[in-house]
Amino acid sequence: MSGLEHVLLALQALRANWLRGLLTALGIIIGVASLVALTAISAGAQEGVASDLRRLGPNIILLDGEFVTLPNGQMTATDRTLTRGDLAAVAQLPAVTAVGRRQLVEMTVSSGRRQTTTILTGIDETFQRMHNYAAAQGRLLTAADDREGREVIVLGSKPAQRMFKGAPAVGRTVRILSREFTVIGVYSTKGNLGPDDLDNQALVPITVAKRVLFGGEAIQGADVQVRTQAQVVPTMDEIDALMAERHKITSGSGEDFSTEDQTQIITAAAAATSTFKTLTLALGAIALVVGGIGIMNIMLVSVTERTREIGIRKALGAEPSRIQAQFLVEALALCVGGGLAGVGIGLVAARMVAKLAGWPTLISPPSLIIAFVSSVVVGLFFGYYPARRAARLPPAVAMRYD
Amino acid sequence: MDGPVIETTAVHMRYASGEMSVEALRGIDFVVAAGEFVAIMGPSGSGKSTLLSILGCLERPTAGSYRIADEEVSAFDERKAARVRRERIGFVFQSFNLLLRSTAAQNVELPLFYAGVGREERRERTRAALEAVGLGDRVDHLPRQLSGGQQQRVAVARAIVTRPDVVLADEPTGNLDSHSQDEILELLGDVHAQGATIVMVTHSREVAEHGTRIVHVLDGLIDADEAVARVAW
Ligand SMILES: Nc1ncnc2c1ncn2[C@@H]1O[C@H](COP(=O)(O)OP(=O)(O)OP(=O)(O)O)[C@@H](O)[C@H]1O
Ligand SMILES: [Mg+2]
Repeated sequence: MSGLEHVLLALQALRANWLRGLLTALGIIIGVASLVALTAISAGAQEGVASDLRRLGPNIILLDGEFVTLPNGQMTATDRTLTRGDLAAVAQLPAVTAVGRRQLVEMTVSSGRRQTTTILTGIDETFQRMHNYAAAQGRLLTAADDREGREVIVLGSKPAQRMFKGAPAVGRTVRILSREFTVIGVYSTKGNLGPDDLDNQALVPITVAKRVLFGGEAIQGADVQVRTQAQVVPTMDEIDALMAERHKITSGSGEDFSTEDQTQIITAAAAATSTFKTLTLALGAIALVVGGIGIMNIMLVSVTERTREIGIRKALGAEPSRIQAQFLVEALALCVGGGLAGVGIGLVAARMVAKLAGWPTLISPPSLIIAFVSSVVVGLFFGYYPARRAARLPPAVAMRYD
Repeated sequence: MDGPVIETTAVHMRYASGEMSVEALRGIDFVVAAGEFVAIMGPSGSGKSTLLSILGCLERPTAGSYRIADEEVSAFDERKAARVRRERIGFVFQSFNLLLRSTAAQNVELPLFYAGVGREERRERTRAALEAVGLGDRVDHLPRQLSGGQQQRVAVARAIVTRPDVVLADEPTGNLDSHSQDEILELLGDVHAQGATIVMVTHSREVAEHGTRIVHVLDGLIDADEAVARVAW
């Protein structure tokens, strides 16, 4: 008898009892689907970290001034301790390749009757370049926009969507406080930096921002880029020393600025997602094992149910190995079918999560293969024991079974 | 074939389950020559079915010798026993023992399938066997779509489709009305006429008299052995 006929025989048995087969396969389907979906989600989170680094720009130190404290002890709303002179001095440090300024505030922006709250960010062109901003629609800010104080704005995908609902945004006007800004572009999605949603921003030239929105001379913060990741920490120390000197901070009195490593923020998020990943993998594995136990259970029940049938087949001359093969093929068919269905459902679930929850998902072929192969292995393993048991029943005993 | 097809010497069968132990056969010496049609009779629990399942290699005797065509089969392992069953023996049971989720044709085809017969030939012989039992028009019916008599005819077709030397029938008409009983007996008569050796268990003297010889079993032993006088046919 050919292998094909074995398969056909087993499939015939499955078809004759499709409901039981479906229930069996359900365990595997759920196991594989959750494994596929969960790995896609966690791989998405993981990949998010790696691409965050690419997207957000490498080797960047965040330098922030504190709010200026007035002699009466109150803090001003807008003035910061960071000055142009500070930034010029930082730019002189040997490892530093670029210094980009930023000034941001949460603000309501509106177009017609639609309004939304976003992070209004005044930036210079260096900042934009350093962080790898790219235009999805229209164009980005230029040095000329800044120099000439043009009241133009580049929107993030979130405020653009909320105000224009997918209609082209370029050329429209956006009202901020009492002023009108012309939308010149929408930048490509950037994801999150730590807790901050970088797609919920609106970029304006920093000179315009300072003139019409912030006032004051001081600079809120700047991003400092160095050549290599290895230079980040030493340069942070240099900046700390330099700033302490310029601001006449003796050890003991409080610093009025802070430095932070952007990569650190990203990898801190990575640590969290790697825990998440381990957890989801464990969950998926548990689901798979539960599915496997379901298969074993059903196969055992089916052997009992089919004891008479096995006796009859053996009375008609079936060798034990054939009965065994029949059950193995049956288990295999359930697992392969369940595995394929599980992969399909898992992919759909991952897409739905990506769409509904807005989480990034990444489908990696190896994870599909692992989920699929492990389901087949689980099925074979759990299919083997009942198959052996079935094959060893003496026919006279089996047929008397009721 | 001159020697006996079936020959048992001092066959014992003891069933042990825990403390309890039943001696179903207590030394059976039984010889069947090729071409005989032997009916086995005896009270309930006397060991008829046990004897038949040993003859059919469905279980091994706990002691004694059993030879089929001079081959000692009593100690055969499952694989070898399976070979004997598919090459030499056809079974008909009181409760039909058809696969309930398979069609008549699929049931009849099964022994050929296990014997490694090719697809085309399988189909051909299956059809021929079903026609021989008068069910040429019921090939795709499931057992539950057939009457008891028809189901037993499918079982007979399945038993003879491999053209076995020996057909073993355990109360083949036990569940049937007298009309269906006659049909089955006629079919077994045909199989016998074509050269098969038949051993059939029955409770009915009338049925037993369709054979050439009647063996009486009592309490796990052969009690009497009589030839059937051919009168009416
Ligand atoms: N698998 C078994 N385990 C234990 N005892 C068994 C088993 N099979 C048969 N027996 C016992 O062996 C004895 C003979 O049983 P068997 O089925 O051969 O009787 P029988 O002559 O066919 O009876 P009936 O006419 O009622 O079919 C009985 O006492 C029965 O209980
Ligand atoms: Mg009996």
